[in-house]
Amino acid sequence: MAKQRTEVADIDRSLYDIIDSEEGFEALDAGLTPDIVEEISRRKDEPAWMLEFRLKSLEIYNRFPNPTWGPAIDGLDMNNIVTYVKPNTDQSATWDEVPDDIKNTFERLGIPEAERSYLAGVGAQYDSELVYHNMQDTAAQMGIVYSGIEEALHEPKWEALIREKFMTLIPPTDHKFAALHGAVWSGGSFVYVPAGTKLDFPLQSYFRLNARGAGQFEHTLIIVEDDADLHFIEGCSAPKYNVANLHAGAVELFVGKRAHLRYSTIENWSKNMYNLNTKRARVDEEGEIEWVSGSFGSHVGYLYPMSVLAGRKSRSSFTGITFAGAGQNLDTGCKVVLNAPDTSATVETKGISKGGGVQTFRSSVVVTPRAENAAVSVSCQSLMLDDESRSDTIPAMDIRAKNVDVGHEATIGRIGDDKVFYLMSRGIPEEEARAMIVNGFANPVAKELPLEYAVEMNNLIKLEMEGAIG
Amino acid sequence: MAQTLTHVNAMPAPTWGWLKMNETTLEIPEGLQPAGAAAVEVELEGAHPGDADAFTAALTRLEAATRHLRRASAPGDAADRERLADADEALDVPALSGYQTWAVATEEAYAPEQAFETGMGEDAYRFLREMAGATRVIEAPAGAQARVTVSVTGADAAVAVASTDVVAHAGSELTVVIALDAPAEGTGLVGSALRLVAEAGARVDVVCVQTAGDGYIALDDSGFFVADDARVNVRHVVLGAGRSLTGLASELAGDRARMDVDTSYLGAREQQRDFNYELRHRGRNTHSDLSANGVLAGASEKILRGTIDLVHGCKGSTGSENETVLLADERVKNKTVPIILCDEDDVAGNHGATIGHVRPDQLFYLMCRGISAEAAEGLFIRAKLEDAWLAAPNERIRAGIERLGGALFDDFEEEIA
Repeated sequence: MAKQRTEVADIDRSLYDIIDSEEGFEALDAGLTPDIVEEISRRKDEPAWMLEFRLKSLEIYNRFPNPTWGPAIDGLDMNNIVTYVKPNTDQSATWDEVPDDIKNTFERLGIPEAERSYLAGVGAQYDSELVYHNMQDTAAQMGIVYSGIEEALHEPKWEALIREKFMTLIPPTDHKFAALHGAVWSGGSFVYVPAGTKLDFPLQSYFRLNARGAGQFEHTLIIVEDDADLHFIEGCSAPKYNVANLHAGAVELFVGKRAHLRYSTIENWSKNMYNLNTKRARVDEEGEIEWVSGSFGSHVGYLYPMSVLAGRKSRSSFTGITFAGAGQNLDTGCKVVLNAPDTSATVETKGISKGGGVQTFRSSVVVTPRAENAAVSVSCQSLMLDDESRSDTIPAMDIRAKNVDVGHEATIGRIGDDKVFYLMSRGIPEEEARAMIVNGFANPVAKELPLEYAVEMNNLIKLEMEGAIG
Repeated sequence: MAQTLTHVNAMPAPTWGWLKMNETTLEIPEGLQPAGAAAVEVELEGAHPGDADAFTAALTRLEAATRHLRRASAPGDAADRERLADADEALDVPALSGYQTWAVATEEAYAPEQAFETGMGEDAYRFLREMAGATRVIEAPAGAQARVTVSVTGADAAVAVASTDVVAHAGSELTVVIALDAPAEGTGLVGSALRLVAEAGARVDVVCVQTAGDGYIALDDSGFFVADDARVNVRHVVLGAGRSLTGLASELAGDRARMDVDTSYLGAREQQRDFNYELRHRGRNTHSDLSANGVLAGASEKILRGTIDLVHGCKGSTGSENETVLLADERVKNKTVPIILCDEDDVAGNHGATIGHVRPDQLFYLMCRGISAEAAEGLFIRAKLEDAWLAAPNERIRAGIERLGGALFDDFEEEIA
């Protein structure tokens, strides 16, 4: 007889599966053509250089083949994907101005409450457009800019900077879906933290994809100047449909000298989502990028945040967890390029597979001849919760520098019977014991998240563990 | 005879193409001619030549014993795809990658003969077999102790290759020694293609030592099928050749089958080392261990691809992979891809790698004794050669190591004498 933990049963999956009416929304035709790209650009009243950029990206997209090394993406037919859906509202700076159904969705996801509790600013995107963007006055007074990227693009003060940085870390030639992003990107955030500025509370962008068969292509551009400090949180979710949805966002992070940026993500897309996201950071002298990443949702996931350590003594750390359940093939990991002396990188990842799900840890560590005295430590652990699931580890290292120190370790296995027996002998039911062990396994990632997100991550794990035995 | 071999040493689960690690393309220089039978000497002790089809027959005999390895169903298998042909429902099945799909298909229709492969891949194996002219088939009788020594001597402008199929019958104890050498100055290719079946309870030791000169390409390709309770130890010692490629694939198909691989290599000057190991666990309670240890000096390059594949059904199996690389010069290029593929929960797979230069404390120790950092590099190379010399299985191989050492160090032969 299947056992149900009360704690698990209490979690309401419908939280993520709310579907709002699309009445009044404006959607372009499905498919990908120059006309559609031009129409997106026209609607956004963009500078001419951006339209040119989009059209060039489209050419690259059409030229590039699909990746052959990762999960199959045959089920993703771009002819069926709507690349632009505008909700029936414009961007607001107060929640009261956001239409009720959209506001209620974000309320249920806890975004306004999080904003009141501990965030310095929030951006909320719904389908292809931002519907809410606001930042505390104190942060604004510090000179911090947190706005929609399209909004910033229309300000002469920021247009030149955006043009200088936009898709330079992730050029459209990087891969097919970077090119797709370049062609149809819409929405996303722009953050500028002036030199020497330290923001004590995080900024957060939340991306919600509501429309059936649609794509979301937001672009996040963050510039943290020298000696500045920022924690940025990204959340995302979507309701489940029985057709493919697509997410091909891009995140470009510029971390200045002695600056620090923590970029945290809890990704909880629905299990019909193709999540082909690209994230990249460039770090200058003595700067630091910290990635904290939790991947739970999506039918197919390709996600490998990349750190380019360009300045002497710059550092990166990547802490990630991936949980692949039934019907999912999540190919996640990270990339690090150490391209300056005395740079260092640490990678710690956890992977969990269950119910026939497939998870792959994939990484690359490249130490160039410039990176004398570089140090790298990579640790990846995978947990198999049944014999129908699959867990692969594909790490690559290319070391070409003097006096480097590179350590790598990986393990794959299942929950030890001895551990379950120990907990059961102390009166803990088997299912609860297993959930406790999985939570303990995930703890190194959870402890890096803000409390509220750690709770959400633990809830997601418990949700996935439901009915794991019996 | 210019020829291009593709998909050489291809790892089963590819990664990003831009890393240029997935596989190797090998250009065979123009003008090389097959060296003929005289380039290969084979000595048999306790083993005997077998029928031409003895190797295939051995795999066929194992078909019944391995039928239980066929997998009735798997997430994403052909039946799944047919059942869920409707695109809407297909979202409920994991979208398997190319190699995952291949793995499921292989498991569904498992047969030893079809699954058998060598580490360097079909293109390279076909080339080696063709260059060898004829394949020697050798059998070690059941319960017997046997030794096979294959010596391949390369020559200028020649391709010298041995192609050998070996059947170690049940309970036999077999040692296979392969020497790949090319003492003559010049440009050429030396190689070996070895296919081996270790039947139930067989114990097999394989040692391959390569000491060719810098003008040579050395290809060492092998494939193993390991049945119930059989055990295979492989030692690869790669010391010479301007470019060497080593590929090994093993099917641990029998319950409690075991494979241990110990690889020792040296890269100096502009030498290139290219390895591909695939250790595939299918039987229950199988065990594999891959240990690679190398020194890279000068402007040498190395890539090591090591895959432990824990196939569905191999319950109780363990696979371990460990690599230690000492980078003795700032110009070296070292690439490593230690892969674990796991489709079973009751298993343990792990790998570790340590890549680095001489540690400051080690350097301090040496410098206190008047040895500079540069001189230390020479010490590491010398130590690697001396170690290989001490463990060499015969005088012929020892002579090859002495020759390589003598070319690098004036006093090498005196010191080891």
